[in-house]
Amino acid sequence: MKAVKTMVLYAVLAAAAVVVLFPFFWMLVTAFKQPGHEFDPQIFPRNPTLDNFRRVFAEFGFLRYFANSVVVAVSAGVFATFFATLAAYAFSFKNFVLKDKIFAVLIASMMVPGLMYVVPQFAIVQKLGWMNTYRAMVVPHLANVFGLFLLKQYMETIPRSLVDAARIDGASDLQIYGRLVVPLSLPVIATLFLLTFQFHWSNFLWQLIVTNKESLYTVPVGLAMFKQAHEELYTLKMAASAVSLLPISLIFIFAQRYFIEGLTQGAIKE
Amino acid sequence: MKRLVLVMVALAMGLAGCRAEKAKDGLVLTVWETYNTEERALFLALAREFEQANPGIKLEPVNIPFDGLEPKILTSLATGTAPDVARVDVGFLPKVAIRGALAPLDAYGIGAVTSELRPVALASCVVGGKTYGLPDQVNGLCLFYNKDMFAKAGLDPARPPATWQEFIEYARKLTDKRAGTFGFGMRNSLWWSLPFIYAFGGDILDPEGKCALASPEAVAGFQFKADLYAKYGVEGGAWRAGGIRDDLGFQSRKYAMVFNGPWAVKGLESAGIDFGVALIPGGPAGYATNVGGNDLVVFATSKHPAEAAKFLMFMASKDVQARWANSLGQIPVNAAADGLIDQTKYPYLKVFMDQMKYAKARPQTGSYPDIENAVNPEMQAALDSKKSVKEAMESASKLVDAILAEEAALTASLK
Repeated sequence: MKAVKTMVLYAVLAAAAVVVLFPFFWMLVTAFKQPGHEFDPQIFPRNPTLDNFRRVFAEFGFLRYFANSVVVAVSAGVFATFFATLAAYAFSFKNFVLKDKIFAVLIASMMVPGLMYVVPQFAIVQKLGWMNTYRAMVVPHLANVFGLFLLKQYMETIPRSLVDAARIDGASDLQIYGRLVVPLSLPVIATLFLLTFQFHWSNFLWQLIVTNKESLYTVPVGLAMFKQAHEELYTLKMAASAVSLLPISLIFIFAQRYFIEGLTQGAIKE
Repeated sequence: MKRLVLVMVALAMGLAGCRAEKAKDGLVLTVWETYNTEERALFLALAREFEQANPGIKLEPVNIPFDGLEPKILTSLATGTAPDVARVDVGFLPKVAIRGALAPLDAYGIGAVTSELRPVALASCVVGGKTYGLPDQVNGLCLFYNKDMFAKAGLDPARPPATWQEFIEYARKLTDKRAGTFGFGMRNSLWWSLPFIYAFGGDILDPEGKCALASPEAVAGFQFKADLYAKYGVEGGAWRAGGIRDDLGFQSRKYAMVFNGPWAVKGLESAGIDFGVALIPGGPAGYATNVGGNDLVVFATSKHPAEAAKFLMFMASKDVQARWANSLGQIPVNAAADGLIDQTKYPYLKVFMDQMKYAKARPQTGSYPDIENAVNPEMQAALDSKKSVKEAMESASKLVDAILAEEAALTASLK
């Protein structure tokens, strides 16, 4: 009976896996097809070609877009995560005036859809003279309330007595933060970095509106170039997409333990 | 640890503190365009020629992804940072024009060029009697048919159907439901239905500016389209959710005939399809097709509208348009260039140009995308036989009239 149950379970999961993986599979095989043969009845390309990959880099400047994306996503991920740890430390272990009220206001701000901020943020970036810079793509997103919330929830599970013991031993806030809280929160810090990295890696609209130079376009903006009013260059688009998924897939494969753990940890308080 | 924190903060501040580069001196026109790779190469060459012929004017073209152009323009308008010139879809021009975002160009001597332009192309730039741009590209739907499939069905590949009656006869012979092939594949949407509606004498609006989609002519036109699927069974359900889209099905030889435009030629040739292009069959009101394309516009915030207008006139001039047509196989927006076209290089171009003689421009409303969004579900219901065509068109008309009333109120409040 148990064996039957397991088999049914595996069958269902296998079917779900096929559904989830098929788009990726289709992306990969299309990337090797000749243009114009994307929708031929056979799944595997008749005359597989690497030309799509060559054109993506040689004719469409994807190397540059790729480098831009790496700079933007890595720096935004690192800085946003860093500031979130500082803020979360303050909200978890320090006392200051109106602490709970400030936190409530910050959390409430998460309910405002991000698109609402686009125009005012753009106006500020423009006034500062930051158009066509990496800063314009990175700085406005460094204050990350979701990150603060995620880290605060986690840090509060660190036993108070541990922090108090360190304080009695004469540790300063910076030492408690650097030697105790950050090392203990590493899984969730890693999760936050990956989430912010991924957000910036795939952010299209903001990166499009703050750049008026193709040399500063990032991968999502570059990918949109393959679609015109009526025509869509599927083979090139799929080749570029396949390449653009590489960093994220690699990070995910190596860090998936953190992805899953980080999100569930801190959910229960014991 | 302290040092690390300080370094991080210093880095972040440094990131925020750098100065932006200074604007260049002299007269620079920024141009946001959405050309594809081939078009862009020619555009850049033409831009250089314009700069050489007009010392003191520099052009700064930026290639913007087609799907990102409208949000980018709308954000830049909200902050007064729009470029001097942009290439916009014909359906987008009235939306920004009625809100005062575009510079009227009539005062800059554009008459010399506009008198030569294809009227349907020029019409897409005129809103409320003023000209807010010059056409950059004009096209419309034609009938594409698969010559192999014609030959196999015993039809003459050199003789495409000329009337809708003939079209049904052909489509019946081309339909083989067991093999899963159909005579026709079509798309739902107002724009893709216009050739039917126009051919039967209908239109989107009547002369008074009220929605005319429920008129007997428009209903007859759409009824004919719906019948191709439901009554005659010669259409393969390409418009249905989960159906194989018309252009893809044409490429995979599932549909023998589809509507499509000049942009499809290159892809079909590289896919090795043996196809022909013909006028869309004539209806009771004669031949007809719709109009799409792009216009070049100058924004009201531009400090150099006269120079920008000069560049637009250069792009729409007879010689530039002839070169554009001859190297890219596109319909020239300037009719004076028709005589300079090399007909042998692009065999389909003549058909596209002939079809444009029967093209009808859409009304210049700033709400065209809203109209599509309101009408399309009603049309879908009619195609699905969930509603009669008459019912669907009547409720669509009411929705359109409400949208137009809203726009009229907005325009009045802006004045």
